[in-house]
Amino acid sequence: MVAGQGTTPTPAPVLPPRSEVGAVGWARANLFSSWYNSLLTVIASAAVVLGLWFGLNWVVLDAEWGVIETIGGRFIIGGYNTDQACPGNDCFWRPQAALLMTTALLGMLWVVAGGVVGRIAMAVAAAAALCAFLPYSMERMGLDVRLLLLANLPALGVGWALARYTPVGKPRWVLVTGVSVFLLTVVLLRGIPGVWGLQPVPTLYWGGLTLNLLLAVAGIALSLPLGIALALGRRSDLPIVKLLCVAFIEIFRGVPLITLLFASQHLVPLAFPEAFPRNSLFSAGVVITLFSAAYMAENIRGGLQSLHPGQAEAARALGLAGWQTTLLISLPQAIRNVIPTIVGQFISLFKDTSLVYIIGMVDMVEIGRTFILGNPEYRISTKEVFIFIALVFWAFTYGMSYASRRLEQRLGVGTR
Amino acid sequence: MTTEDQSHEADDIIICRDVHKWFGNFHALRGVTTSVRRGQVVVVIGPSGSGKSTFIRTINRLEYHQRGQIIVDGFEMTDDVRNIDAIRREVGMVFQSFNLFPHLTVMRNITLAPTKVRHVPIAEADAAALELLERVGIPEQADKYPGELSGGQQQRVAIARALAMQPKVMLFDEPTSALDPEMIKEVLDVMRELAASGMTMIVVSHEIGFAKEVADSILMFDEGKVIEERPTSEFFDHPREDRTKAFLSQILG
Repeated sequence: MVAGQGTTPTPAPVLPPRSEVGAVGWARANLFSSWYNSLLTVIASAAVVLGLWFGLNWVVLDAEWGVIETIGGRFIIGGYNTDQACPGNDCFWRPQAALLMTTALLGMLWVVAGGVVGRIAMAVAAAAALCAFLPYSMERMGLDVRLLLLANLPALGVGWALARYTPVGKPRWVLVTGVSVFLLTVVLLRGIPGVWGLQPVPTLYWGGLTLNLLLAVAGIALSLPLGIALALGRRSDLPIVKLLCVAFIEIFRGVPLITLLFASQHLVPLAFPEAFPRNSLFSAGVVITLFSAAYMAENIRGGLQSLHPGQAEAARALGLAGWQTTLLISLPQAIRNVIPTIVGQFISLFKDTSLVYIIGMVDMVEIGRTFILGNPEYRISTKEVFIFIALVFWAFTYGMSYASRRLEQRLGVGTR
Repeated sequence: MTTEDQSHEADDIIICRDVHKWFGNFHALRGVTTSVRRGQVVVVIGPSGSGKSTFIRTINRLEYHQRGQIIVDGFEMTDDVRNIDAIRREVGMVFQSFNLFPHLTVMRNITLAPTKVRHVPIAEADAAALELLERVGIPEQADKYPGELSGGQQQRVAIARALAMQPKVMLFDEPTSALDPEMIKEVLDVMRELAASGMTMIVVSHEIGFAKEVADSILMFDEGKVIEERPTSEFFDHPREDRTKAFLSQILG
């Protein structure tokens, strides 16, 4: 309305009753709407207050966190840099170098994907760099270790700059780099016979969080495409393909992962040619991937079934070929619809990697357990050890949930 | 198998001869024989369940027919995938429920098929898409997602998407049945303009006003058969069949 023209006063907007807005209104509507709601509110508040009181009391005053400090780096890399695994104890730089490559890769992903990936990349680099200032003696944690940890900050910057200013920043090349970083990490950790500084370290000694992450990353990266292929196969018109996919899915879903892990040491070597590695790590990786792929296939199939048949019809009517319809129309929508279950599957896979202890591998959980078994004087600190391990797992799984929620928001799931 | 049918008249772009279709034991099409000339607008009417939707869906093989012959622009519709793809490129289709791709912007919805099927360069496809959006009256919606548009706007995008493949025939399967009354007109206006431009159209619709104004002829379906097929004015002024008269009196009130 033009100023000065206001001969007719605009009617004041009618406001809702005061009791329904603001903090008081919110509390009245949500906490004290009826007598039993009020009762629940009082009981729940009391429980929260008491829980926080005793919880914080324990965390700050009673808990003996010294055990975490004592186990220290073994949580991260297990027995990798011990005398048996690496005579001379000079293998510490190899996982460190792998971490640097990973941070650089995260820097590249930051440029390509942006948003939440950037925050995760910064969090990882910052956490690694902060570890350089842990209050250990210089004897226990040398200057070289600390500098390598600090180098994660420049590594992040290098990755970011590479992606930002060179053609390496194309998604295709970032994918290639990602696969290369993973393979290099495995080669670096494994070592090459006869090469100075790269003396072989048997996979038996790979352990700790590194082991959990290696298995999880390989499992996630391979089970998604495999699951998609199985889901499409199960919906195929070709009876043999369909039968094989159904059989695969039902067999791998129908057997406990622990059973598969036990069987893996004997069965996986039979299925792969001589050229493939023959060790528990490889077998466990294969089994975890296949197990997860079976579940993934059903998730994806659920997504495909949720699509309106009109979508594929419209695509076919436009002249798109069958594979184009699947690739461009059906799959993107199906996957978008089941992001929460896919990420749930990833989280569950990550946690399941700790089951490899039953075939003698020493993951982070197993390190905590064996440390306490081997050092009875620390038995009193069992709670602290497992709470710490739980927190580490939670930090990673929460990162995944957070990333998935942001991805859903960006793709507009549920709103369009 | 001969793909060229020598006997058809050059003017007939669609020829159907004794087309039968069963869904399980249900006999949905019971010997449909008809033809559509180039540039003609045919409106298909009939009670629900009479097979009119099934009929136009057989023309681009969203449903396959088990008996009879369908020839589109000289290609016979057979199991041969090359023929099916060739025919689908020439035949555009607009659905009752729009069926826009919700994960793609309006622009990508329109350019997808030209770039992926006809291999048109992206810049060229974009320019053509913008022109089509101008034509259907919503160029300002180009970068939105389908879910952000009203039903009428979505249906106009769907028409633009079909036109982007430069089809020779457009099929409309009840294009306004899912729309609120105030949006029906904006879609019918686009279809009127399309008819005036000389496009061959087959329209399944209950919009009698539109049929009277735009159609060259009317196909009346009942129980899987064409029971009456005549030029528009004759059809409405002097319907021959009792079934047609009853149907018209029902929908005209």
